[in-house]
Amino acid sequence: MSGSQELLPRFTGRHVVNHLVMLVCFVGLVLTGLPQKFADHMWAKGLVLLFGGVERTRWLHHVLGTVMALQLVWHLLEGVWLHLVRRLPMPMMPALKDVLDFRDQVRFNLGFAADPPRMDRYTFAEKIEYLALVWGTAVMVLTGLVLLYPVRWVNLVPGEVILAAKAAHGGEALLALLSILTWHVYFVHVRQWNTSIFKRRLAVEPYVEEHPLEVERLRRDGHPRPAALQAWRVVVFAAVAAAIILVSVAVVWWLRVVPAGAEVVTRF
Amino acid sequence: MAFLLLVVHFSITAAARAASDEGCLECHGNLEAVQAAAEALGITIDDARAASLVTFPAPPGSVHEGVECLTCHAAAVEIPHPQGMAKANPCASCHEDAVAAVNRSVHRDPLGATSLRAPCWACHGAHDVRPATDPRSTLYPPNVARRCLACHERQDYLQGVHGLGVQLAGLNVAATCVSCHGGHDIIGPDESGSRVARRNVSFTCGKCHGRVAETYRASVHGAALTRSDNPDVPTCVDCHEAHNTQDPFLPRFRLGTVETCGKCHSNRAMMAKYGISTAVFDTYVADFHGTTAELFRATSPDQPLNKAVCYDCHGYHDIGSIRTLGTKQVSERLLLRCQACHPGAKANFISAWTGHYVPSPSRYPLIYYVKLFYAFIIPATVGFFLLYIAVDVIARRRQRRVE
Repeated sequence: MSGSQELLPRFTGRHVVNHLVMLVCFVGLVLTGLPQKFADHMWAKGLVLLFGGVERTRWLHHVLGTVMALQLVWHLLEGVWLHLVRRLPMPMMPALKDVLDFRDQVRFNLGFAADPPRMDRYTFAEKIEYLALVWGTAVMVLTGLVLLYPVRWVNLVPGEVILAAKAAHGGEALLALLSILTWHVYFVHVRQWNTSIFKRRLAVEPYVEEHPLEVERLRRDGHPRPAALQAWRVVVFAAVAAAIILVSVAVVWWLRVVPAGAEVVTRF
Repeated sequence: MAFLLLVVHFSITAAARAASDEGCLECHGNLEAVQAAAEALGITIDDARAASLVTFPAPPGSVHEGVECLTCHAAAVEIPHPQGMAKANPCASCHEDAVAAVNRSVHRDPLGATSLRAPCWACHGAHDVRPATDPRSTLYPPNVARRCLACHERQDYLQGVHGLGVQLAGLNVAATCVSCHGGHDIIGPDESGSRVARRNVSFTCGKCHGRVAETYRASVHGAALTRSDNPDVPTCVDCHEAHNTQDPFLPRFRLGTVETCGKCHSNRAMMAKYGISTAVFDTYVADFHGTTAELFRATSPDQPLNKAVCYDCHGYHDIGSIRTLGTKQVSERLLLRCQACHPGAKANFISAWTGHYVPSPSRYPLIYYVKLFYAFIIPATVGFFLLYIAVDVIARRRQRRVE
């Protein structure tokens, strides 16, 4: 990339931090989680040895998983705030146009169409990855909480569900890792060496190539601006946020703090 | 009375150096005397042979104190001594039973009779034979292994609990070689009468570990061995090792038990005979406890592990078959095991374990279908991604050529 090339702002500091936290958590969770799934392999044992034993590996996994779970809750609140209070658009939301874009891109790639589809701020490839990540994180957090507190959960669901959750946790993890290694690596490391999520800005040429509609709009209107705060929206948001936080704390309280011994009927 | 005792006393001390002994020592008392005697008799003799002929009568405190040379070496009364004396066993005249026993043992000489491949003195010493309670005795517990290991390569005994107990912990009651193998009457382990023959091992160990051996013989393994001589079931030494017996309270032993049980229980041919699943090992390692144990053993084999290993649920010396115990009793026992580490666990907690069953459409269908879902969705998703990427790469190359 030559120095004279014009750079367009693509991400904000919030995006950069979110991505960075996710990156650290994801890599850490894969490194501490995979050896637990493939415990009988030599590489798994070596990796666990590097972390300082299975107990510490597991501790790291739990800490990183907690951070990722908090980030999921944070992201949910963030989305509600930005969309419903600040009235900003939600460009990650999938739409019918994404299906058509995918069809047109395939037609173009196969040589049946003269021009590639013109896409907006997020291409269908980015949306697939984002939605898979959010959905996958939700699955991982939920199944992870089941695996962390099996004694507690078995009072709510049949024991088989706990083992099914374990299977899902491992399967979803493998799916996520392989998706990142193929889809993500191809689109932002191979197809383009795209550092905009770290540097916030992207060169005009790849920007126009991948997001022509957004560049047009940026040049016409600039970045979308948040609406002025409305008191009732802030109050509703505060109530919703408080409810979400309270429910999260209550779940953790029930899982961790309520004494397990209180439920013991027979002891030997 | 006192006079009589005095007379007896004098006669004993006199006997300690009987007149005939003095005669023997004239030639055998020191090296020069042996060489001089040989010269006088016109025999050529090398230094090593001469040195081996220097001897002394049984010293005070030894069991043979006061026994005259000629009592054991009767033929030596003739001078020059007759040919073949060295082949005759001097112990045989008094210890007929012992010699007869050795002649029936693995240490017998092919030549038979009083000739022995392992001569008495190889283990007992020659003239300085002492009672087993004397620390100088070759039969004193800490001295036994040295004698046996002079010929037998079983140094691992010294690293086992019994060897360490005798040698290091000063336990004279801990097992020495002869505690398990016997003394004069040792026979090969393949012979049915051997103390270490498979079906006799539990009785041999049971001499000290009595209650454990009884429990074992009542277990599914022990009963099969003692009642029907089943060659597949383990006896004490198959899990604990005969010589390098490890302290079962060591973390290393506990962590190794999964492999110990797996030796037989992952053997398809052996388990097929009894209709036992060989998936027990894989299903254990795939489960949370097994995963932890497997990784824990690889990285910190000497640290204690609190996750369940085979025997935490199945027991060890008292292992019973689920076919005879019944699932109800097994479930009750399993729950107690669960509660030892999971104090809040109730009866429904057991349902969170497949009991070594591999999930199938009929048994644990939810787990089966979740696994099936990912077995399908992972290759399908990644395959779709790779296919799309391949097409995209080709299209971009073609486009670049056009430009």
